[in-house]
Amino acid sequence: MPDDRLLRALSRSFRLPRDRYRRLARWLDDTTAGDSLIRKELRHIFPDHWSFFLGEIALYCFIILIATGVFLAFFFTPSSQPVVYQGSYAPLHGTVVSGAYDSVLHISFDVRAGLVIRQVHHWAALIFAMALAIHLFRMFFTGAYRRPRRLNWLVGLTMLQLVLLNGVFGYSLPDDLLSGTGLRIAYSITESIPLIGPNLASLLFGGGFPSSTLIARVYPVHIFLIPGAIAGLLGLHLGVLWIQRHTQYRGPARTDVTVVGTPLIPAYALRTTGFLLLIAGALTAMGGLLQINPVWLYGPYRPTDSMTMAQPDWYTGWLEGAVRLMPSWDVHIGFFELPALFWPAVVLPGVLFTFLLAWPWLDAAVTGDTGLHNVLQTGRDRPGRSAVGVAFIAFVLTLLVAGGDDVFAVVFRWHLPTVVAIFRALVIAVPLLTGALAYVFFRRRQSAVAV
Amino acid sequence: MATELQTRPEAPAPAPAGPPPRPRPGWPTTLALLVAIGGAVGFVVAYVVDASTQWLGGTMALVFLGLGVALGYWGRDLSDDERPETDRYPLPPEPRPEEHEELAAALHGDVEVITRRRFLSKLLIGTAAVAGLSQLALIFSLGPKSRGLRHTAWRPGSRLVTADGVPVSRSRLTPGSFVVAFPDGHTDSADSQIVLLHLPTVTPLPGRESWSPQGFFAYSRVCTHAGCAVAQYQDEALVLLCPCHQSQFDLKQGCKVIGGPAARALPQLPLALDGADNLMAQSDFGVPVGPGFWNLYA
Repeated sequence: MPDDRLLRALSRSFRLPRDRYRRLARWLDDTTAGDSLIRKELRHIFPDHWSFFLGEIALYCFIILIATGVFLAFFFTPSSQPVVYQGSYAPLHGTVVSGAYDSVLHISFDVRAGLVIRQVHHWAALIFAMALAIHLFRMFFTGAYRRPRRLNWLVGLTMLQLVLLNGVFGYSLPDDLLSGTGLRIAYSITESIPLIGPNLASLLFGGGFPSSTLIARVYPVHIFLIPGAIAGLLGLHLGVLWIQRHTQYRGPARTDVTVVGTPLIPAYALRTTGFLLLIAGALTAMGGLLQINPVWLYGPYRPTDSMTMAQPDWYTGWLEGAVRLMPSWDVHIGFFELPALFWPAVVLPGVLFTFLLAWPWLDAAVTGDTGLHNVLQTGRDRPGRSAVGVAFIAFVLTLLVAGGDDVFAVVFRWHLPTVVAIFRALVIAVPLLTGALAYVFFRRRQSAVAV
Repeated sequence: MATELQTRPEAPAPAPAGPPPRPRPGWPTTLALLVAIGGAVGFVVAYVVDASTQWLGGTMALVFLGLGVALGYWGRDLSDDERPETDRYPLPPEPRPEEHEELAAALHGDVEVITRRRFLSKLLIGTAAVAGLSQLALIFSLGPKSRGLRHTAWRPGSRLVTADGVPVSRSRLTPGSFVVAFPDGHTDSADSQIVLLHLPTVTPLPGRESWSPQGFFAYSRVCTHAGCAVAQYQDEALVLLCPCHQSQFDLKQGCKVIGGPAARALPQLPLALDGADNLMAQSDFGVPVGPGFWNLYA
């Protein structure tokens, strides 16, 4: 039988009849035999800081993506087979489109509230990736990747990669002109891998491009395989976080062996549930009011068509920029060929993510600090690290902007090769400059504090 | 392993002297909840009357935002009351050799039971590896293997047709104009798409003099960079441009790359004129079309 302390913990939270808690407590203990554990964890302490909400934004975007994704899955047809569009969007009436594109138009125009849910899904994916990226750099700048959080650093980075990949796949499913072009490029990137590329592309995408099973291949990966992997890793991520307790910033009574903050029940639970609802509210408002990915304007994918001024979603924009800026360096030795596409689209993301994955060990090797830390640092504690982080972000953001080089050329009426040359210079100069500035800035703040 | 939780006041010494904390007003929470109720009613009404996406999304947002704001206010009021501090798991300043030793002993002891029979345990590991690897064969069901990156649907004598299957006749193309064409019977073959241009002023490359009868040139329309359709034609500069990554191919030099990230020229399709007015292919492309791969030149 649960003892009185569990009852007290529960009834402190909400002032409802005590008998109801007695029944709830009995039921909890009967079903879990975890009275003491539950009692303790009801008072789990979460440190307070706005930057700790970044991971929560990502978590709640994932939940909203699953909820909206299930709705969309009821109506989506993963088919590349041609059908004649007969739905209510008049301009495409009578056009031969794929079953997938047809069903996306159906969701957008003929399923009541279908377009809202579709747009919420798309916005949630964009915000998800952004929250993860900012969360990652919050960890970086505050030294939260140090022991004992190296595992969670790796798990988080793996989830980020899976999220980016699944974003690409989701973007590909409607089989509109933009997404089909994106898949074509993804196929070519896979093909560029030495030795295994052509066979791998053929295995993954169901034959030559575009195969008749292309959409049917991408679909289960997008809705099942990768979300399942993310859910598993998320469980691990949160489990480790729970056992370790969250990190905290310096402050009164905050040490490596204590944690100061808000207890789970009731305040933190209320706050975080409220936060979930606020994110859901923001995303539904965006889904209702801000148009995103109007595939009916792009038209169905046809291999003979491609679009000018086409941009991918932001989280792949940096790769797009790298692909555009990369000089045409084909390596050609005998019969062996290393296509120019391989460097920016395979090697670059590989190097960047390897660098991030290895960072906790690089950092420990440089500083000699392999101790356990639960109190976070700030930018000025480690000006060198802050400079590396700022330069990294500047590099990726410059590439992202360079992904729109054709737009710059048109808007400013510049010659396109000039725009490319400028961006090639910027992609080197901006990270160096911002990194140096960040170093000086944080160094000065450091000495200001020391004085 | 965690120690018993202790709740202590956050600031032990200086208890702020003054009046006791007054209860916070409940009206923001109430107001936010009313907004949520209004949003919920509005959403159902909007749904029933099939209102626009903006109304549906806006009212749905009010439901969530109202509830979220209400819970936020409520949670804030509660969290201001107490700010407890607890111990983490007992975190040692130094590694804990004894406890690591105990864990290692436990792991070792449990594994010992399995590994005591050395032959069997090795066989078990080997079998697990073989069993796992054997299942990788399923990957090859994924195929089918591409019907080949080295060939397209063009054959000697294939007639050029438009995407609608209409034969391309010489007289259709005025000098300087172009048309997208496919081999007859293969208008769905993405790899076979070509751009046919009438460029009587252009000199063919050495060795390709017989490929462009009467100034009709045909080039693969699949970009050699990332495979997009090379869909733009600048008729004054005589340049083909791929809109995906802005690779430029010079029609005056056999579609050599003159800008952008592509490295390989667009393959040229050797053309011939049949007895009548129609164009046909002499053969398939001599080299693979589209993006590069590791044994492209094998």
